[in-house]
Amino acid sequence: MGGSPEHAQRTALRIRFQEELAQTEQLALGGLDMVGEQLRRVLEAVEHQDVLLAGEVVAGDDAIDQLYRDLHERILSVLALQAPVAGDLRLAAALLHVARSIERMGDQTVNVAKLIPLDGHHPPTHPVLLEELGVMGRLVSQEIEQAKRAFAERNLEMARDLIHKDRDVNELNRRVFQFAWESGDDPDAREWAMHMILAARAMERMGDLAVDIGEQLGFVLTGQFEEFRDASHPSPSDAAPS
Amino acid sequence: MRIAPTSQRERVLGGLFRAALFVSLAVGILTLIWLIFSVVKEGWPRLNLDVLFHFPSSNPELAGAQSAIMGTIWVVGMTAVITIPIGVGAAIYLEEYADRDRWWNRLIELNIQNLAAVPSIVYGILGLAFFVRGFLGLGQTVLAAALTLSLLVLPIVIISSREAIRAVPDSIRQGALALGATQWQTIWRQVLPASIPGMATGSILALSRAIGEAAPLVLLGGLTFITFNPEGLDSAFTVLPIQIFNWISRPQQEFHVLAAAAIVVLLVLLVAMNGIAIFLRNKYQRKW
Amino acid sequence: MTDPVAQRPVVAPNTPPESADAPACAEPVFRLRDVVVSYADVPAVKDIDLDVQANHITALIGPSGCGKSTVLRCLNRMNDLVLDASVRGQVLYHGQDIYASHVDPVEVRKLVGMVFQKPNPFPKSIYDNIAFGPRVLGMKGNMDEIVERALRRAALWDEVKDRLKQSAYGMSGGQQQRLCIARALATDPDVILMDEPCSALDPISTARIEDLLLELRRSYAIVIVTHNMQQAARVSDRTAFFTVDLDEGERHRTGRIVEFDSTERIFQNPADPRTEAYVTGKVG
Repeated sequence: MGGSPEHAQRTALRIRFQEELAQTEQLALGGLDMVGEQLRRVLEAVEHQDVLLAGEVVAGDDAIDQLYRDLHERILSVLALQAPVAGDLRLAAALLHVARSIERMGDQTVNVAKLIPLDGHHPPTHPVLLEELGVMGRLVSQEIEQAKRAFAERNLEMARDLIHKDRDVNELNRRVFQFAWESGDDPDAREWAMHMILAARAMERMGDLAVDIGEQLGFVLTGQFEEFRDASHPSPSDAAPS
Repeated sequence: MRIAPTSQRERVLGGLFRAALFVSLAVGILTLIWLIFSVVKEGWPRLNLDVLFHFPSSNPELAGAQSAIMGTIWVVGMTAVITIPIGVGAAIYLEEYADRDRWWNRLIELNIQNLAAVPSIVYGILGLAFFVRGFLGLGQTVLAAALTLSLLVLPIVIISSREAIRAVPDSIRQGALALGATQWQTIWRQVLPASIPGMATGSILALSRAIGEAAPLVLLGGLTFITFNPEGLDSAFTVLPIQIFNWISRPQQEFHVLAAAAIVVLLVLLVAMNGIAIFLRNKYQRKW
Repeated sequence: MTDPVAQRPVVAPNTPPESADAPACAEPVFRLRDVVVSYADVPAVKDIDLDVQANHITALIGPSGCGKSTVLRCLNRMNDLVLDASVRGQVLYHGQDIYASHVDPVEVRKLVGMVFQKPNPFPKSIYDNIAFGPRVLGMKGNMDEIVERALRRAALWDEVKDRLKQSAYGMSGGQQQRLCIARALATDPDVILMDEPCSALDPISTARIEDLLLELRRSYAIVIVTHNMQQAARVSDRTAFFTVDLDEGERHRTGRIVEFDSTERIFQNPADPRTEAYVTGKVG
């Protein structure tokens, strides 16, 4: 044989395919940034009862839906044209799930945004409740950021760690429910509290979706579906009442 | 499933077959060796440079074969010059240009095979009628002899050249044509160079036949008593086979010894000629 | 010395895969209309309508015997070498009909290069293999530079630059095929035709050649016949799917194009059920 085998191994192969897959992943992770931004804005809208800002969040979901369609098309194209196998195939499949999760997270922020105008212009607010909601929101925001970093860096430990924050988010969800339950007899106040339950539930779902992304990373790396469990807080029913 | 051992019968038959093949080979080689050996032994007393440098004479002490040696070289050399280009050219035409489906081309193909089987004396008669007398009127010259021998060995050159051209894979031609070469460029630059080894082999075969021919050249005047070397194509001539025949026919034993020496010279010439052709073949075959 | 190929319009390196609505800009390099190819008056392919765009890779796929190679060989008039082949219809190369009576097929082949299924280097040195085309075409210029440029374009220069005078047969199969590609490039064609160029090669050599094709696409139009559907999916921009059918009243099967569209469309959502059946592997 004339050609040296080691030369063949030094040259990268299927460059177009590798680039396409990498760019698709970048697009997906960028979607998480978009969702994080939506969440930050809707939290601010809730805190200040800012109807205009809520309207912007609703409008901003169009971009996320478009991103979902773009991602879907690109992944299908990669599957059809490049016939990926092994790790590449798992990555393509995982990215489909991630795309779906991003789209649902976007929908949840819209759900929260739509709750704000329902309360009129000066609804009664319960400061403790609002604060709990704010903490929840910030925790979920951190979960999204952590999920993104874990996926990008292929860091399974970081992904597994998501479950701890999510445990706290679930706990906060229960507390919000408790507070709302005890919010007194004023009908306006009760109505607002009910809406806040819905808002908390939406954010709790977003947290679960971030954990899902972490589990997808587990599938990419190991080929197995592993449901993340928090060993330090075992609980027979750790799903929040929803 | 048990693998059965080779049966005894199979082994014996295989061994017998192999032995029979070996015997065939041995018979041929041993006969050849014995012939050469006996010729050398017989010609030994006169195997010296005299036989190369002297001319024929009625006195065996003084006789040598120089005129016949030079005559052979002239005649066979001229034959090569005539027959190889014509034969190769005909082969190229038949392989590369001719349309196989045409009836006249098939007729030509058939007859080339036949021509190779015609007895050489017939070519002698032909040469006498057309080259020596008749149409060209060359007389009993080297040129007439060379033309006659060329006709004789032409079928061999054509057939072997065709084989050599056919052996060049068609993918080479397709590759050259696809690059924008004309048919002629493809043949001249790719097919011919690649087929030179085969053609060289064919030419060896042809000229080896020519160098040993006596009968047709007898008819063309090679039997006369020539004591000079050919000076040109229009020269009279004689060749080694005829000279050998001449000496063998004499009653004196000394001439028989001379004949044996001349046979050895003829064999040496033959080997030298083959050697040149093999050298040429290897030179072109060397890299691939 | 100027490089004529470098002067040509170049497709940007990170062009995403063509989507179905990629416009066929500019005039096509080849345009085939109603082309029929017959052997001994029996049509082998008919109703062939095809456009070959510059800077695109066009793949011809389909089952065996459906005429893909026949159509490919129309583009450089290699069909002329088959004694009883005849071609009807229009085969336009930059608007000129290459089957017009005044056109010399040899001239066509100088402009359209071809790479064959089995690598067929000449029994000469690597240098002489590349130099053969330029020499017979009488190309002016420094032959050393021409040879180096062709080998660089075929991504072979670094591997062979120290043994240009050695036999081409000392190379591996994948290298020999890249040599044949370099040989075709040496005469500066603007189209390269490839007849199943990787079918005799191992997967690594195949992948290297596919990557090379994606590079070459920036400067040449490439038409590739392939049995390997995945290959067509991986490298081509547009794909033509051929099939072979027995027409009513005919005694011989004739090949034709069923669908010709962007590769994305053919492999994701083909319009014709026959295409779908073929690319999903349900029909051979």
